[in-house]
Amino acid sequence: MKPSLNYEELIEAGQPRLSALQRVGSSFLDGSSSAASAAFSREVCFVEASVRQTYEHIARLARRADSLDEVANMWRRMGAFCESALQILAGLKDKYPDCGAAELYDLVLDYKLACDDRQNRALEEKECLTTDFPKGVLPELS
Amino acid sequence: MPDDGLSEGCVTRAELAELAELFDRFEFALDPLSRDAEEAEARFNSRVQFIFEEHIRPRRPQLSFVIFRARVRNLCRVFLKKNPP
Repeated sequence: MKPSLNYEELIEAGQPRLSALQRVGSSFLDGSSSAASAAFSREVCFVEASVRQTYEHIARLARRADSLDEVANMWRRMGAFCESALQILAGLKDKYPDCGAAELYDLVLDYKLACDDRQNRALEEKECLTTDFPKGVLPELS
Repeated sequence: MPDDGLSEGCVTRAELAELAELFDRFEFALDPLSRDAEEAEARFNSRVQFIFEEHIRPRRPQLSFVIFRARVRNLCRVFLKKNPP
């Protein structure tokens, strides 16, 4: 059996969707034309699906991660993927006002913040593990 | 010792199992914006705060809540790896 994709490869797999969004968004002079709206709306749907699916995969992998560093890196990379999408959408959502780009921007921003929360929690836990903690407060795992 | 490999502390095994279930529902939620994830996170934070105020602070006044909460979250991760949902 072939090994499954790691989190870096999963996130990389979503990059072509972002490139397509940028390419299609830049290819029309008038974003309000029906042809432009149809083409851009299609890419918006693809990017939304890509962000949601990639996030799901990372959440599954994070549960099985071997270390807090790995957890933090997964969410950092996923957050960077969201940030890339946000930068593209920020430059195009006004050009295509009726294609769902503004709504997708808000959604991806919320996903980015969720990634940041998870990365920060992992880093905080890692830091706290290096500080003294009294015995007997928490149950011990054998 | 119970089958889940835990010994009792100030936080009980039952409390840890409950917290781990809540932690799983928001930390590893497939949709982080779902109502279930938001409710689970709010309940988790509320329960951790309650346990700290009721059981930990009176016995360990020098222990900070931030460190306690981070330790609880980390123990939940370990618990979930040993006891997958």
